[in-house]
Amino acid sequence: MLRWIVWRDLILAWRRRADALSTLFFFVIVVSLFPLGIGPETELLRSIAPGVVWVAALLASMLSLGRLFANDYQDGTLEQLLMTPQPLYLVVFGKVAAQWLTSELPLICIAPLLGVQFGLSNQTLRVLIVTLILGTPVLSLIGSVGAALTLGLRSSSVLISILVLPLYIPVLIFGAGAVEASIIGLSPVSHLYLLSALTVLALIFAPWATAAALRISVE
Amino acid sequence: MNLYKYASPTNFYPLAGKIIPWFATPAAILFGVGLFVGFFIAPPDFQQGDAYRIMFIHVPAAWLGMFLYILMAIYAGIGWAFNARLASMMASSISITGAMFTFLSLVTGAFWGKPTWGTWWVWDARMTSTLILLFLYIGFISLQSSIDDPRRADRAGAVLALVGVINVPIIYFSVQWWNTLHQGATIRILQKPTIHGSMLWAMLIMLAACWLYSVAVVLIRVRCIIVEREQNANRFVEATV
Amino acid sequence: MNWPDLSMGGYGFYVWGSYLFALLAIVWELVTLSYRRKSREQEKAAPEVLRGTTNETTS
Repeated sequence: MLRWIVWRDLILAWRRRADALSTLFFFVIVVSLFPLGIGPETELLRSIAPGVVWVAALLASMLSLGRLFANDYQDGTLEQLLMTPQPLYLVVFGKVAAQWLTSELPLICIAPLLGVQFGLSNQTLRVLIVTLILGTPVLSLIGSVGAALTLGLRSSSVLISILVLPLYIPVLIFGAGAVEASIIGLSPVSHLYLLSALTVLALIFAPWATAAALRISVE
Repeated sequence: MNLYKYASPTNFYPLAGKIIPWFATPAAILFGVGLFVGFFIAPPDFQQGDAYRIMFIHVPAAWLGMFLYILMAIYAGIGWAFNARLASMMASSISITGAMFTFLSLVTGAFWGKPTWGTWWVWDARMTSTLILLFLYIGFISLQSSIDDPRRADRAGAVLALVGVINVPIIYFSVQWWNTLHQGATIRILQKPTIHGSMLWAMLIMLAACWLYSVAVVLIRVRCIIVEREQNANRFVEATV
Repeated sequence: MNWPDLSMGGYGFYVWGSYLFALLAIVWELVTLSYRRKSREQEKAAPEVLRGTTNETTS
């Protein structure tokens, strides 16, 4: 069941490649705006790079979350999924996994290029990729709670942002903090441990909260 | 005496109406007493002069902002778990007062920061966590106001409040971490004024006053919510006419 | 009991400013609450006029 859900969502996402690609382009554009707004000095850019890349990743995740359940809700598939004998936890987990593969994985792949734009060293780029790999699942998981709560509401995309961005703050702090530690030359390990702790917590609890929220939203 | 009958909004409505003056009047009195003790009896502080007197409204507002969020989450959780409408109405009522106090604590904190630290805003752990708490309140209120069906709004708010309340310690810890790492050149620790007797009394009296005020206002608002949601129930219309 | 220095040792703007703000916040809360009560009274008196429907059970 889990494999089927992931595969189905991947196929659907592939049919609408433009959606996932537009999220990617949004990420690239937002990251590129900051040097334009702040100035081209290398030192300054290097110091703001972790925060900028991470905030852009948060914002790009917000865009892709609106699509997580909305399409299925509109054509009635979601109600069918709610009625299956399989635990809703697994259904949610599958959909979130597919969302991570289609929306977050491209970000992770392109982030090193953007890091080079900001003058980060190879070591730091490696740390950046690791933090994104550890942290973006949390973004998808917590975001799925917001997406489930705001299903079918007007202006749901802005509402998702208001609900979910404050909850993203610890991920931002530890993710950007790890990269920054690497820039200064300190070890990012403590940040990475804490980030992993958040990921584990989110993996265990978020799908359950999302399942509860789905049942509430799809009466 | 069967207390459970008060779990029904229709029965709670007149009870709340009777309780409110018992909280509103002492609140007003304690505000007066607290301000009197704070301004006329407590001496100027050794380090901060008279500026510290902002503390008498800032600290109660901050505590109440945090306490009301937890209370709101508890009520929302009870309303969701036991399908109790009145508990969810209480949660919705508390959210607005809690947001007000949190906002007030941010503003008074800024007013306190300017004379003591030189800047209106400082990204220290406490102020930043309070700002995030305000965002959490705003999220809850926005979610509830965007959902038309009141029962769905209650349950969705409950999920959000519970997720929020679990996140609050995580957020607070991570903000503290973030703040201590970035302390750099300006090592600034909030200089707590040495609490002398009269200062402590004034603060505690103001805290009690704010709490009593909150109870009164929350009950008034929940009565409005009860009417707004129950007005189509005939027995309610008869009871309140 | 000592009469307080009204200028608060020079910090008067900040001290009185924050208490003024607190007063405004409390007043705002009470005013919006009474507004809510008034519109509720109005609605009870003439529900058909305000809602454009009769007093039948909706949702």
